[in-house]
Amino acid sequence: MSSHIHIPMVPSDPMETWTGTVNGKTETHLAHGHSILLDVLRDKIGTLGVKRGCDMGTCGCCAVLVDGVPKLSCLTLAFEAEGKEITTVEGLADGHHLHPIQQCFADHGGSQCGFCTPGFLVVSAALLENNQDPSESEIKDAIEGNLCRCTGYQQIVTSVMEAGKMLREGISGDDRTEPASDPHPIGPDEPSLPPGDAR
Amino acid sequence: MGKGYRQAPGKGKGKSRTDGKRIAGKQDFGVPGSGGSDPYSNLQDIDRIPASQGGQLKQPRGPHVHDPHITGQTIGKSTPLVDSRWKVTGQAEYGDDIRLPNELFGKILRSPHHYARIISIDTSAAEKLPGVKAVATGMDSVNRFGVLPVTKDEHAMAQEKVRHVGDLVACVAADSEEAAIEALSLIEVDYEVLEAIHDMEDGLLDSKDPIHDRGKYHIGDSNVQKRVFQQFGHTDAMREAKFQSKSDWSFAGLHHGFTEPHAVVAHWDPNGRLQLYTPQQVPHYVHRALSSVLDVPMHQINVIRTFVGGGFGGKSDPFPHEMCAAILSRKSGRPVRINFDREEVYWINRGRHPSRIQMEVFTDEEGRIAGIETDALIDGGGFASFGHVTTYYNGVLHTSPYEIGGFHYTGARVWTNKPASGAMRGHGAVNSRCAVEVAIDDVCEQMGVDPMTFRLANLLPPHSRTITGFRITSTGMRECLDEVRKQSGWDDKFRKLPFGRGIGVGCGFFISGSGLPIHWDPENFPHATVHLQCDMDGGVTVHTGAADIGQGSDTAVAQAVSEVLALPLDMIRIRSKESDTAPVDLGSYSSRVTFMNCNAAIRAAIEMRDKVLKAAWEITGYHPDSLVLGDRRIYYKRDPAIGISWLEAVHKAQADTGSLIASGAYRTPPMGGIHKGAAAGLAPAYSFSAYVAEVEVDPETGFVKIIKAWAAHDCGKALNPLAVEGQIIGSCHMGMGQVLSEEMRYGRTGHLLNPDLLDYKIMSVHEMPEVVPIIVESNDPEGPFGAKEAGEGPLLPILPAVVNAIYDAIGVRINELPVSPDRLHSRIEKKCRKMKIDDPMDLPNPTFEPSPLQQKLSNRAEEHANRDLQRDLLKDRSAYVNGVLFGFDPDLPLHEQSEGWRESVTPTPEDLADDSKRAARAWNHVERRYREENA
Repeated sequence: MSSHIHIPMVPSDPMETWTGTVNGKTETHLAHGHSILLDVLRDKIGTLGVKRGCDMGTCGCCAVLVDGVPKLSCLTLAFEAEGKEITTVEGLADGHHLHPIQQCFADHGGSQCGFCTPGFLVVSAALLENNQDPSESEIKDAIEGNLCRCTGYQQIVTSVMEAGKMLREGISGDDRTEPASDPHPIGPDEPSLPPGDAR
Repeated sequence: MGKGYRQAPGKGKGKSRTDGKRIAGKQDFGVPGSGGSDPYSNLQDIDRIPASQGGQLKQPRGPHVHDPHITGQTIGKSTPLVDSRWKVTGQAEYGDDIRLPNELFGKILRSPHHYARIISIDTSAAEKLPGVKAVATGMDSVNRFGVLPVTKDEHAMAQEKVRHVGDLVACVAADSEEAAIEALSLIEVDYEVLEAIHDMEDGLLDSKDPIHDRGKYHIGDSNVQKRVFQQFGHTDAMREAKFQSKSDWSFAGLHHGFTEPHAVVAHWDPNGRLQLYTPQQVPHYVHRALSSVLDVPMHQINVIRTFVGGGFGGKSDPFPHEMCAAILSRKSGRPVRINFDREEVYWINRGRHPSRIQMEVFTDEEGRIAGIETDALIDGGGFASFGHVTTYYNGVLHTSPYEIGGFHYTGARVWTNKPASGAMRGHGAVNSRCAVEVAIDDVCEQMGVDPMTFRLANLLPPHSRTITGFRITSTGMRECLDEVRKQSGWDDKFRKLPFGRGIGVGCGFFISGSGLPIHWDPENFPHATVHLQCDMDGGVTVHTGAADIGQGSDTAVAQAVSEVLALPLDMIRIRSKESDTAPVDLGSYSSRVTFMNCNAAIRAAIEMRDKVLKAAWEITGYHPDSLVLGDRRIYYKRDPAIGISWLEAVHKAQADTGSLIASGAYRTPPMGGIHKGAAAGLAPAYSFSAYVAEVEVDPETGFVKIIKAWAAHDCGKALNPLAVEGQIIGSCHMGMGQVLSEEMRYGRTGHLLNPDLLDYKIMSVHEMPEVVPIIVESNDPEGPFGAKEAGEGPLLPILPAVVNAIYDAIGVRINELPVSPDRLHSRIEKKCRKMKIDDPMDLPNPTFEPSPLQQKLSNRAEEHANRDLQRDLLKDRSAYVNGVLFGFDPDLPLHEQSEGWRESVTPTPEDLADDSKRAARAWNHVERRYREENA
C-alpha cells in the first residue's frame, strides 16, 4: 500500500562560474550546469520582472533578449547564454524615459494584470528594433509565442503599432522622474469668464 | 481651449462682499515649493459636464443622481491603469516576486490517488533530512474552512481522506527547493484506495462512501452537494406551447488559465503577527479563514495582496496552500514561500463546472417565450468552493432579459473525485446562457422569424422585475441588439451567406455585484467602505480593500475620487493592498467592485469635498452652494476668476479641524423575494450584452474559424472606456476559447490529461479574430455616475453567438462544448448519414422564409422600443413585472398570480415521471432537512 518508492536525490553537479551581461551590467554568479537562465535571472541576479508562468515554454512570460534575439529563459540553460548580452524588461527603459513600447502598453491597454507584459514587451521591442513600421501580421507573428489571458491581444497589437509610430517620429517616452501636476498652479494675469465653465 | 486660471484669487478685480466682512481675493498664500510641469489649472471640460448641469454632455436617458458631482476631470476618459507603469517596467511584485530575508522553500506532497483513505503518514525520515526545517500534515490543523460559511469542507491538508489526485497531504519547508523536494519523497503515506467517482451522473447515486459527510445536511447517501428547485409562473401552460426546442448539452470543465501560478509567502513577524503575501481576489475571506484555521484572532493577521497575475475567479477561494505556508512558517519561525508550478495550478483548479444541461424553451403562436425548463447537473469536483451559489446561478441567471411565461429549474451539484470546480468569469451563468440562447435560435427557426427580431420583441423593459423577482433598473439590451445588428450588417447576412459561412447572435445578462454578501450581515455592515485622507501636500490617499486583479479597480476608484474632487489622477494615491490599512472589502468577485466601491468612493469624496468647500467658504466668503470645483481650484460660480487653490482650501480645512479625512460606504437597497434561494442572483443592477459572431466552417474537417465578432455591452456608463473595451475583448477571448478549444480533458481512468498550457488550448494571437467592442450606456440610476459591471457579463453572449453562427454556416446544431473539429465532424457525419448525403459539401445551406409572425414581432419590437424609452425618461414608469406580455397584472408579483406556485418544495414523483434523468434524479433522494410545505 505504500505509495512512494524512494529514489535518492541525484547529487548536483558542482557549481560553476557563470558570467553574462544583464541589462548592460556584467554579472558573475555561481550556477549549476543544469540551471536554467530563468532561475539565474530571478534568483541570482534579481531581475524579478522576468516571470515564471508555465515552466515549459508555452506562455512566453519568461522571454528575454539574448544578443537581441527573443529567447524563452525557461528553456534556455544559463550556460547557453554565457557571455552574452541579456536584456530583460528592466533594461528597456533608460532610467528616465520609458521605452516607447512600455509607454504604449501602459497607455493603450496592452497590459491588464500585467503578468505576461514583460514577455510581450521584450519580444515587441526586438521586433521594433528591426522594423519600426510592422504590419499587423508581422506583429502577430512576433508575439505568437506569448499568451495573454486578459486583453485578447487586440490592445497589445495596437500598442505595438503605436510604439512603432513613436519610434518613427522620434518621440521618447514620458520622463518618470519629472514632477507632474502642480497642486498649486499659477496662471495668466488677466482672467476672464472662460468658455469652458458650465456652472 | 486656452490656458486656465492662476490661483491668485481675484487679483485686479477683487470682488468685495457687501457686508464688508471679507474681501474675496485678498488672501495671500505662499507657493509651498511644489514646482510642477503644468503651471495652469485646466478649464472645465464643458463636453464632459452633463446637460442637466448646464454642460454639453448629451443624456438621452435623462439626468443621473451623480450629475452634480461631475467635474469633467476623468470619468468617461480613456485612462491608462494607475499601476500600469509598475507593470511595464517589471517592478510590479506578484506572489512569486516577494522575497523575504531568510526565507524557506515550501513544497506540498499531493495525493497520487483519486480517492483514498489515509491509514498513516510517517514524516520522520523527512524531518531528519538536512536542510528541512518543518514538516506539517493534516494533524497540524484540523479546522475546516471554505469560501462559503454554509459549506466549509476544506482543510489545510487532508484529514482522513484524499479526494482527488493532487489533494494536499503534507508539506515541507526547507532551506532549498531541492531539499524540500527530496523531503517530500521521504514522507511515507499508507493509503487505502477507495472507489472513485468520475462521472457526474454517478454522483447522483447512493454511495457507500460519500466523498463528504455533511451530517444532518447530507442529502441521502449520495454525493449530491446541493440541489435547487425553482418554479415560477405558468409551468403547466408553457409545456402546452406550440413551439418547443429541447436539447441536451454537455459542457467541458474549464480552467481560468491565468498566467501567474499561485504563490504565497507567510511570515510570522517579530511581533507575533502573521504577514501573508498572496495574489488574492478576496483577501478578506483569506483573512477569516486563516484566523479559524490557525486559531489566532483576526487582528493578529495581516493579509497583503500582491499584484495579481490574473484571477478570473480562480484566486477567489481561501486556498489550502495559503494555510500550509502559514502553518510551516509558524512551525519553523521563518518566512516560507510556496510557489506552484503550472500543474499544481490545475490541481487546485476552481474553474468552470463541467455541466450537463437539459434545456427546453417553449414559445407560443404570438411569438412569446411561454416558458423555459432547465435541468442542470454540475460537476463540483472534490470540494464545495462556491458551488452552492453556482447551482443557483445555473438557473436564475438565464431568466432575463426576456419576458417569459413560466420557469422551471432543477439543478444539482455533485462531488466527484476531480479537482474542485468553483467560480470562473461569468460564474454559473455561462453554460445555461449558451443553452438557452441556442434554443431560442432553434425555436425561431421553427417559427420562421428572425432571431434578432424575436429577441427585440420579447425584452423586459427598464425598471421592471424578472420572473424570479430580480429588480431590473436600467437596461440597454435593445440598444445593444440594434447596434450589433447595424454594425455587423445582420440583415444582409443572416441565412444569406454562402455555405460554410455563417452569422449568429447571442445575448447576455449578468449581475453587477451580489446583493447578498457572503460573510457580512447586509443589515448591519456595508458592502464596501472607502476611507480618504488628505494631508498638507494636497494629494488624496484612498484606503480601500478592493482587490485590483488587473481589471483596473484601483483606477476606477481613483477616478471616482478624482472626479468629485476635481483633482488630476496623479494626486490620488490608492492603498488597497494590506488588510491592516484597508477597510474591509469583500473582494473582486461577482463583478461588484466598480459598482460598490466607486459608490462608496463617491460618498467619501463628497464628504471630503464638503469639508474643503466649508474651508473655502471661510476664505472667500462665498457659500459652498455658489462655489464650484475646477481643476485643482475652487471658484465662485458666477465669476471663475475668483477662487482659491485646492491646496489653500485644504490647508485651511486642516487648520480648522486638525485632520482632513472622510469615509464613505455602500450597501445595497433591500431587494428580493422570500422564496428559498431568493437571494441568489440578486444584484443592485444588471448588465446586458448582445454579440454577433461571423464564422467560417470547413464542412469536411469540422474546423471552425471565427472571422469577426461585434460585441455590444451595456455597462451603464463607461467610467474608463479603455478598460471597458479591454474587458469586452478579453471576455471574448476567454469565451471563444471555451466554445472552440479549451477543455479540461479527463481520461477514462479519471486522470486529468492536460494540466499544462500546451494541451490546455488558450487562444493565441493567431486564432483570435477581430472584435469590435461597442459600449452602450444605459445610465443606471444607482450605479456610480451610471456605471454597471463590464468584467463578466461580456463573456456570456459569445458562446451562443458562435454556436448559432455554426448552424447558419452549415445547418448543423452542436450541443457539446468545446466545438472541437472532431466533435463537429462527427455531427456533420451524422447529419450526412441521416440525410443520405455522401459529401458534406452537399449539405443544404440553411435558408430563412419569414412567416406572418415576423411582421407581427417586428411591430411589437417597435412598440416596445417606444415603451422602453418612455419608461427611461420617467414619462411612464408604472409598475412592471415579468408577465405583463401574458396579460398579468403589472402591479402584483407574478408568483402571487400564478396557480401552482410553490415557495420551494421537493418535487413530487409526478414532476419526475417523464424526466428521470440528470439533476432531477437528485430529487429521488429523501432529504433530511425539514422543508416547509407551502402551496
